[in-house]
Amino acid sequence: MFKKILIANRGEIAIRIMRSAQELGIKTVAVYEETDKTAMHIMRADEAFCIGSGPRKDYLNIERIINAAKATGAEAIHPGYGFLAENPNFSKRCTEAGLAFIGPPPEVISAMGSKVIARGIMTDANIPVIAGTPVLPGGDAGKEAALQFAERNGFPIMIKAVAGGGGRGIRAVKDLNELIRGLELARSEARMAFGNDEIYLEKGLPSPRHVEVQILADEYGNVIHLGTRNCSIQRRHQKMVEIAPASLPGLIQEQICQTATEAAKAAHYVNAGTVEFLLDAEERYYFLEVNTRIQVEHTISEMITGIDIVREQIRIASGKALSFSQRDIHFRGYAIEIRINAEDPKTNFMASPGVIQIYQSPGGHGIRLDGAVYQGYEIPRYYDSMLVKLTVYGFTWKEVVDRLRRALDGFGIAGVKTTIPFYKQIVNDPDFIEQRFDTSYIETHPHLLEYQENVPEMEKLASLVAEINALGHNPYAESP
Amino acid sequence: MSQRERITPKMKSREVLDFLHSSPGYFLTNNERDVSQSDFKGRIMPHTTLKVAPYRDESGYFAFEISGGASVHVDLLRKQINPFEKLRLIRKAMPNTLLQAVCRGRNLFGYRPYPDNVIRQAVRLFSRYVDVWRVYDFLNHIPNLKVVAEEVQKAGKILMPSICFSTGRGHTDEFYLGKVEEILSTVGEDVILGIKNHSAVGSPARIASLVRALRDSFPGLLLSYHGHNTDGNDLSRMIAAVTEGVKIVEVADHGYGGMFSQAPALSLIQSLHDYGIKSPCLKVHPLVEASDILRRERRLYERFETPYRGFDPTVKRHKLTGGAASMAFEQAEKLGLLERVHEVFDDLSKVNIELGNIWSVTPGSQILWTTAVNNVLHGRYEKPSDDLKRLLLGRYGPFPFYDPQEWIYEKVLEYQRTDGKKWYQILDDEAGIQQLAEENFDAKRQQLERELKRSATEEELCLYVQFPRDALEYFRFEEQFGKTWLLPPDVWFKRGGFEDGTRITLPDYDGKTHYIDLVSTRRSGDVAHTSLLVDYHFQTYSTALRTKKLQP
Repeated sequence: MFKKILIANRGEIAIRIMRSAQELGIKTVAVYEETDKTAMHIMRADEAFCIGSGPRKDYLNIERIINAAKATGAEAIHPGYGFLAENPNFSKRCTEAGLAFIGPPPEVISAMGSKVIARGIMTDANIPVIAGTPVLPGGDAGKEAALQFAERNGFPIMIKAVAGGGGRGIRAVKDLNELIRGLELARSEARMAFGNDEIYLEKGLPSPRHVEVQILADEYGNVIHLGTRNCSIQRRHQKMVEIAPASLPGLIQEQICQTATEAAKAAHYVNAGTVEFLLDAEERYYFLEVNTRIQVEHTISEMITGIDIVREQIRIASGKALSFSQRDIHFRGYAIEIRINAEDPKTNFMASPGVIQIYQSPGGHGIRLDGAVYQGYEIPRYYDSMLVKLTVYGFTWKEVVDRLRRALDGFGIAGVKTTIPFYKQIVNDPDFIEQRFDTSYIETHPHLLEYQENVPEMEKLASLVAEINALGHNPYAESP
Repeated sequence: MSQRERITPKMKSREVLDFLHSSPGYFLTNNERDVSQSDFKGRIMPHTTLKVAPYRDESGYFAFEISGGASVHVDLLRKQINPFEKLRLIRKAMPNTLLQAVCRGRNLFGYRPYPDNVIRQAVRLFSRYVDVWRVYDFLNHIPNLKVVAEEVQKAGKILMPSICFSTGRGHTDEFYLGKVEEILSTVGEDVILGIKNHSAVGSPARIASLVRALRDSFPGLLLSYHGHNTDGNDLSRMIAAVTEGVKIVEVADHGYGGMFSQAPALSLIQSLHDYGIKSPCLKVHPLVEASDILRRERRLYERFETPYRGFDPTVKRHKLTGGAASMAFEQAEKLGLLERVHEVFDDLSKVNIELGNIWSVTPGSQILWTTAVNNVLHGRYEKPSDDLKRLLLGRYGPFPFYDPQEWIYEKVLEYQRTDGKKWYQILDDEAGIQQLAEENFDAKRQQLERELKRSATEEELCLYVQFPRDALEYFRFEEQFGKTWLLPPDVWFKRGGFEDGTRITLPDYDGKTHYIDLVSTRRSGDVAHTSLLVDYHFQTYSTALRTKKLQP
């Protein structure tokens, strides 16, 4: 087993990885940019290494991170999610530098990273995929291929970036005009976002559900799954609420998990990954993509199985076989995970950077917090806005919803706007409570944004006390 | 009747009246509303009222007057509490005691007549919490009571129509008996008839005579007496009233020890005890405990006590109502007239006589007082107020005894007239009570909701139509600062800033304790930065030192 690992990430996922490593007796190294020097992950690590002035560019600088690992004597690197996690060059450079990469091998990341190659692998393995095209050629040939696809499959159609993933690089079009206009726009966006302007088309499913399966695979050909997650509640293809299990009919649940393990095997997958599917109204499922990283929502699978996925990732990367078989995995209860971000839902979820003046969090049975903030912390504007990830467990669906509601009420955060009031709306929405949601949920429930923001009563009173103090009298009670 | 029995808000108004009829002795109403208004410029805060509420509730009062009069406006303007919320809080804290409000008839809780639909809405909404309505008209013009009375009775609440009492020319027993006859024929006999001695005038013998006359003429009628202790003689008047058959008298806690307000309850109880007259429901111990608390609280309001302490037997001449005393002094102070206030009182005595020897009670007391102040400042009737013009035009009702002299009409009505009309032409063309157009609630609601940028409740609309500017400012204040009535009075009225290290302990709406600790104050230019620990969480607030009014 490793003695020291470096975590090439920041925020809550860096801390989450450190916890598992430290439980295994492994020392942890945090890296940080100068612009992120007050981040909490630095405090939680055994040692920390500044990789540059930042912002963002140094977290994406492979060589600086490898140098940091070498300098600190780390034997392995965990990439977390985002940043370099799904960059096959990073995995490759780690291996070349004699460092273990806690994730899949570079060729798997590379193959799964190309959505078209991934679709090809899955098709060859008889895994159902949504009707789609190969990579579209540029110019008129691409337009012609797109028109032919539209004629065969009708609308809606999804234009996707080959290098996209995680909900990024997707554009839905409803008619021919949008399709033709969208091709160039999508290419341009893909070039900007991923440095690769290749695109392809997929048939769009009307209001599908997004279901994914967590898998774990070791170097010895053992592949198991940790059940399903329903990630249908999304805003602009970004997941907002994740639920495990996905509450599918028994047979479908079994089939989709089996399909996922077959897909992992077909891709020669190693380490933790997620196989994503779309489900239509008739419970037919189609392969969407494989995410070759630990995912934000992995906590809900951990809650319903009791498995520490990151611990298993580290063990697999150190060359050990999976520490359990599929038979050892038992599913129990429900878990929901939400991302509490410093964003203002009422202004199109615009980031709300600032100083966290008050931070009080809930606790008690069935509540897990994966956070990276503290009272007095100034949220930098350069990085993602997640404050804390809330995962709740309940033995029944009703219990988990009730617990989520209670946990949300237990937060007291002042200084920045957060997504908490919006989640409070969701948890009280009858459709959510009755599990009536698909990927159109946020769009079809605009009233969820109609809430009153409540400044904590004591804060309001304190502001008046401050005014009475400053003015030397109460201007609302009497004259000076 | 068991000694444990008492009147409670759960009883229907008929049951309450029957209970009063069948109970020997007398009942007390604690009038904190009037104590606050008469002796503390209306500033007694809900925090104090709630602190003492359990003891008062246990004391067995007939009722607790806490709303109406000037209090509705002062709640919005100076205490920053929604008058309805105040009633809800007190109802919760005093579940066994009837809540009482005083209402100025057609002038409702204000100073001018309101349209009928505004009156009806207000009475209907306030009746959710108010059990007893003490209603009067400052000219004893009984038709002005009609709309309020109808709504009170419709709401099933206890109606206490009151005759305003005074002395001097015209104020005979016969006159008042005629007024009571008119009241009863207007509103029916299932009422408690109030005697409102707002100016603290008349000897005990005069009050006894009036009560006897009323008892003789209306033997089954329940009587209540509301007086003031301005001359230090209200205890005697109350004893006279009760011994002659008045059933309810209004008192203050001795812990407040008011001068312009009511006489102390315990003094009355002790005195009547020696007359062999008891109150069937009163418990003395909690009443004493309440005053022990109020004595300590009173220090927090010292700044608002009237500048002239001690009793004022000259009230017999100037007749300034107790309820207007503290605010009148405040106004005199602001005008720099405090050293010449004796001149104002002298003029007020003349004005009373010149303006028909009417009753010096709101809104009449304000008209008379302002006239006297203006007379001292600008010369007699040289700068009449619009309200004085309205009085002379009969907008509030007719003068009951005699009209003012012609020279007063001439000075007042012709003041700043640009059409050249003479006073008698103005009287011919414009005098009399006006039928006011109904308020357009839909339009007002839209206007309010536009201002608030949210929907408005019916209670908010009700306050808005009565006090458009001040209600709106209050709603904005409440949105910004929340339930500030939770702050203790020594914080609310704090002057000169807080010492570093001051700890403010306060309960929240649900009764849970919170702490605000003053850490430091730093001034930089026109801005002061106050650092606080709010429930142990550090916060810094910046205040522009020139900001005095709530920003919209």
